[in-house]
Formats: sequence, structure tokens, C-alpha cells
Amino acid sequence: MSAAIAGHPTEITQIAKKPKSQRSSDSMRKGIEILILSVPALVMFLGFVVLPVIMAAYYGFFKWKGYGKPSVNGTFVGLDNYKIILTDPNFQQALGHTLLIAVLSLVIQGPLAILFALLLNQKFKGRGIIRTLIFVPYVVSEVIVGTGWGLMLQSTGAVNAVLAKVGITGVDWIADPKAAIWTLMFIISWKYIGFAVILMIAGMQSIPEELYEAARVDGASFWQMQWRITLPLLGSTVRIWAFLSLIGSLQLFDLVYIIWGQYVASTAGTSTMATYMVREGRLAGNYGYGNAVAVVIFVISLVIALTYQHFVLNRDLEGAITGPEKKRNRKHKVSNKRAHARSAAANVSASQAKSSEASLATAPIHEGEVA
Amino acid sequence: MRLKQVLAAGLSIVTLFSLAACGNSNSASSDGKTEITLWHNSTTGDGKAYWQSAADAFMEDHPNVSIKIEPIQNEDMDGKLQTALQDPNSAPDIFMSRGGKKLRDMVEAGQLMDISDKVSDTVKTQMKSALSAESVDGKLYAVPQSVLPGGMWYSQDLFTQAGVSQTPTNWDEFKTAAVQIKDAGITPIALGGKDAWPAAHWWYWFALRECPTKVFDAATTKGDFSDGCWIKAGEDVEELLKLDVFNEGFLTTPAQQGAGSSAGLIANHMASMELMGGWDPGVIRDLTPDGKDLADLGFFPFPAVENGKGDATAVMGGVDALAVGQWAPEEAVEFLNFVSEKDWQEKYAKAFSTIPASKEAQDAVTSPALKGALEAYNNASYVTIWLDTVFGQNVGNALNEGVVNMMAGKGTPQDVVKTIEDAAAKG
Repeated sequence: MSAAIAGHPTEITQIAKKPKSQRSSDSMRKGIEILILSVPALVMFLGFVVLPVIMAAYYGFFKWKGYGKPSVNGTFVGLDNYKIILTDPNFQQALGHTLLIAVLSLVIQGPLAILFALLLNQKFKGRGIIRTLIFVPYVVSEVIVGTGWGLMLQSTGAVNAVLAKVGITGVDWIADPKAAIWTLMFIISWKYIGFAVILMIAGMQSIPEELYEAARVDGASFWQMQWRITLPLLGSTVRIWAFLSLIGSLQLFDLVYIIWGQYVASTAGTSTMATYMVREGRLAGNYGYGNAVAVVIFVISLVIALTYQHFVLNRDLEGAITGPEKKRNRKHKVSNKRAHARSAAANVSASQAKSSEASLATAPIHEGEVA
Repeated sequence: MRLKQVLAAGLSIVTLFSLAACGNSNSASSDGKTEITLWHNSTTGDGKAYWQSAADAFMEDHPNVSIKIEPIQNEDMDGKLQTALQDPNSAPDIFMSRGGKKLRDMVEAGQLMDISDKVSDTVKTQMKSALSAESVDGKLYAVPQSVLPGGMWYSQDLFTQAGVSQTPTNWDEFKTAAVQIKDAGITPIALGGKDAWPAAHWWYWFALRECPTKVFDAATTKGDFSDGCWIKAGEDVEELLKLDVFNEGFLTTPAQQGAGSSAGLIANHMASMELMGGWDPGVIRDLTPDGKDLADLGFFPFPAVENGKGDATAVMGGVDALAVGQWAPEEAVEFLNFVSEKDWQEKYAKAFSTIPASKEAQDAVTSPALKGALEAYNNASYVTIWLDTVFGQNVGNALNEGVVNMMAGKGTPQDVVKTIEDAAAKG
């Protein structure tokens, strides 16, 4: 949005045909302004994001123990580290676990969150309390969640004690390789569903009430309304949530590290790419190798994120991308057509649907980009 | 105009970096005193107080020296040290060392001071047996503070309650005793498998009993694990596992944190024994309900293994020492000589409930458990430090994890040896 607005003044000055000298001093002043305002952010970005990535790539070419300089105290091994990473069954397992967690998170949390949001979007007594309760786990720190569940789910912990009272012998939820990944999925779902629900509720509340009224007049049932109005208009929220959830899954580290400790994660089958990096890099003291793992994780995450953005978030991102005015217009036309088609299905006037989707589409994306 | 842009950009960068560069160097303070920083891992209680009082006493004798003590949480120590050592200005002058491969890595990076000729005769004679653990290629780099021989720590009351009158000396007796304790309704062995190394200690000890000293040395110096005794060690662990004598859920039990940890189980009489290093009495003391020494704590050496080719008296243990940075002032070594004297070593033994490195100060050890450990240590014909310390973090961690995998039923004794070889490729 802001980018689009920023684009306008230049066009206006060009159209107004000011004297040449004034025009150039204007654009010069603007250039300096942009430069000064962006330098601090740029320095931070280069210093704390780009530079570490470059350094990690450099360190990744060495066998290096982290003492002294890699060029002096390490040995240059070229791409050897990468060869070992990609053929290490432990890494392949960790990658498998990470992808499984990413997919399961979407499959488990998505439908549940929408159902919860549908429920919490109705008016009933105590709605505020339940909304708060469902959001509380998301606010609690990972360390506390991990320690708490870790203690309760031990084979001699509270959960098994309760199960024993009803006559069920519980398994070792954490150490049993067959159960561990599902235990982790349960804890992840419990912890992060609150965030999904809040996003969905926000998305639902920006759907205009008139659409439902019109549908009701036409005799649509409750579920028909959710299926034909809520779900389609919730699309962009779902896509953004899925993107955030994917990124969260790819980075998953703290919960696993706290519950399974430094070593047992790969034994129990819950290791992730991040825990593999810490174990093989920092804990094993192989700083060169660890940096190579970091680069691999970076590339995998980047490819997944860009692919998702390109194919799924594509239509939500328009308006956030600055580009030639013509191109933007063309895209708008396409999306208008889509909006028309969908609003026809919803059996309401086209313009209403277009405006509501446009506002839905742009608002959360900017948040996502900032995050 | 271009110049202005460049100037503006330059100015913002300079501002940022001048803010970041506000660190200070630590070698000489403004009042002309020589400043020494010391990093140790006792963040609470008597241990922390011991270092402060030692520093205060030294500063009284040397008014021109100021010692800054910084206790660092044990688990954070390695990471913080590694970062700090990159820059002599922020690095401590004296810091904890456990010897082994890591000490060698620091020496090879030129970060440690060779103190072979700088330590006092007291250090050279009274700590003689512990010096080799802190030496690299015949040169000394750290001054030992305590020796921590490993073995079985057990509750005398629970043994009596189960009708085990004598501590087992060989593998058969050990198995019989463990089953007898189990049948009496008591958990025989506590194990903190979550931290991996306590589980791996079982494998180390069996290896020590199974492998001849020569094979052991070949593995630690050349990384040669071809001898069949290494696989035999794994099979011994499996045999013990089949008896089902470990505490329930040992894979997710930590070693030292809280009453549910393996040390906590011993401290609260929830399990009868555990295999640990010489720090165990101190850790157990902090986890008893009243915070006092466990009255009925006893010690017996790791039992001999039938047909084992290893030395039956051999002892594995740790050495806690203080290393000196290559950049440290001479007074740093003087301070280490100061705390190596008998009276300070005796105070150290009391503060940490452990065995001091100085032979003369070892009379200060009074608890029966520690006395037993000390006796086993002094009678040993062969002493080595923990295998994971010897091999360094890389191979050591892989070895620890390999043993845990095996104990979780996800690997064979052969896999443990293979893990070691795989890890060697990464470092």
C-alpha cells in the first residue's frame, strides 16, 4: 500500500512539467531523503542478515573447531561438508521429520482452527473467556510449555497416572519412537492453534454482514453460508496463515530441544533440521560443518518460501509489489474477474465482494511481510 | 551532491559502529591494577563462595592485583568460552578445562599459555597423578583442582533392605545383586539417559574392562576401533538392559536436575545405585530433602568382567582444572599456585564435597563414599579420563548418542562402533 502511494508524487511532478533545474533538484532531494532514512535499516539488514549468511557459506567450506581462524586452524575441504550432510541418514531423517511436521501442522491445525473460529465468531455467553483461553498457550513461552508437558508425559508422569486410574496403561509418550512424533504434534497443535484461530476470527469479522443477510433472505442454511461465503472469502487469511505455519515448522527447534534434550531427539524420531544443526555444529564442536548445515537449511527454507509465494500467495501479493503501473493494472483486471466469478457464486453483488476481498487480501500481507 | 549522499551514508555507518564498539578491554584497569578474570562453573552455594574467598585472600597479599570472578552456568560454559576466546580483549584469563581433545584444540589455536615452567613445585609434586590429563605433547596448560574418579555410588540402607550384604566385585555378583534388589521392590539402577553421557558411561566402563590397555590407547590416540572388545562392551550393556534393572523411563530422565533426575532418585532413596563420576556426592547432597550429605551413601568400584582382557583395577574419571589464556598476566599463574597449596585445596574439598587434586590435601576427604572412590583411584594401575573427553566433542557426542540409540532398541553394538567412524568424517 505504502509503496503504491509513494509512487504517485513522481508521476505528478512529471505531468506538471516544472522547469528542468527544479525538477532535478527535487528528485535529488528525494533521493537523499530515501537514502538517509533507509541507511540504518539497510546497515542492520546487511550486518545481521546478509553478512552472516555469507560468513556461514565461507565457514561451511572448512573443517573447523571454532578455535582461532578457519583459514589458519581449520582445513579447507571444499564441498565435502555438503556431501556428508546430504548423505547423512541422520540429516535425511531430520529433514523428513521437519517436512512431516510442516504438513501435519497444516492438516491438523487448519480445519480445527476454522471450526473453532466459526464457533467463537457466534455470539454466546462466555465467548470472551474461551477466546482468551484458546490463545493462552500461544502466549506462554516455549520453555515453560516444553518443561510442563515434558514432566507430565514422562512414563511415570501425571498423564500416565491419570490413565492408570481409568485402567489404561499409557506408553512412554516421549521416549517411544512410535509415539514421540505424535506427542510432538499434539503439543505443537495445542500451542499454536490459538494463533490460527485468532487470524481466522479476524478474517471472518471483516466479511461484511450483508452477504450473510442476503444469503439468509435467499434461504441458505448455516452450513451453506459457511461453505459458500465464509470459506471463499477467508481464502487469503488461510493462505497467509499456512505460510506463517510453514515457516514456523521449518524453524522448529525450542520445543524439541527442551522436551527431548540435546541427544535423545533423533533416537525418539523427533529431530528437526535445527536440532540437527545445533547437535552436529555447536554441541559436537564442528563449527565448519554446522555452518554448512545452516546454509543447507537456509537454501531449503528459501526454496520452499519462494515457491509458496510464487504459486500460492501470488494473487494476495499484488498491490504490495511496486512495478510499472500498466502491469499492475493488468493484474487487477484478472483478479477482478476472479472476484466477479466468486461473488456470483455467493449470489451477491459483484462490487461488494470485490471491495471486501481486496481489503482482506492486502491487510494481512503487509503484516506477514514485516514479520 | 553525490558527495553529500556519500557523507550521509558514511555518517550513519560510523555512528552505528561507534556504538557497537563501546566494549572495554580487560587487561589493565584505570587505577593501574592488574586485572584478572576467572570463569568457573559454580553458580550457587559453597562452591561460589569458595572462589570469592580465595580471590579475596589473594588480593590481600597482592594489593596491585584485582581478580574478577565470573560464575558461568555449566551447560553454557563451552559455548560462551568458544565465543569469548576469539577476542583476547573479552576472553577470561583463567577458565575451566577438563583436558582431552578440547584442550588440544585450544592449544593448537594458540590460545593457551604453556605453564610447565611457571607452576610451583607444590603443583608439580602433589598433583602429579592428575597432570597428564591437562598436558598436551608433554607441556602443561592447566592446573588441576580436583580428581573425579567414577564408579558405583549406592545407598547402603537400600542394599541392606534388599538383603545384599556385600558390594559386588565381579559381573556375576553384580547381576545377582541387581535382580535381588529389583525383587525386593526397589529400583536397582538410576540412569539419566536424557543427557546421553550417563548412559554412555556404562559402555565406556565395559570397554575399559573388556579392552587391554594397549587397545585402549590405540583407540584414543589413533582412533582405531577394529578390536572386537569394543563390540563386546556394547553386548555387555545389552545384557544388563535385558535384566530390566534401570529406572522406568530412563531415556527421558535427566542426570542432575531436580528430584526426578538420576541423582535425585538416589538422594531420595527411590533407586539404589548409579554409575557416576566423583562429583556425585556433591550433586546428591544438593538434591536430598534437607540439603545435607546423604548419610548412607557408599561407593564400590565398577565390577570386574569375566574373561575381560582389560585391567580390573583400571579407573576412569575426570579432572577439573583451570587453564590460563595465552594473553593472561603472570599474576594469573601466581594465583593458581596460590590456590594449589594444601589449605586452599582442603577448603576446596569441603566446599565441593569432592576429592582435591593435591595429594596432601586428600586427608580432608572424610565421607565413606568419597574415601572409597579415592582408594580405588590410588590403587588403580591405569587411569584414563572419560572417553567422550578424550575423543573430543565431535566423536564423543556421536558415541554417546550411539549408545543411547542402542539402549532405545534402535541399534546394535556394531552400530555404536560405526557411529564413531561416521562422526570422525565430520570433524
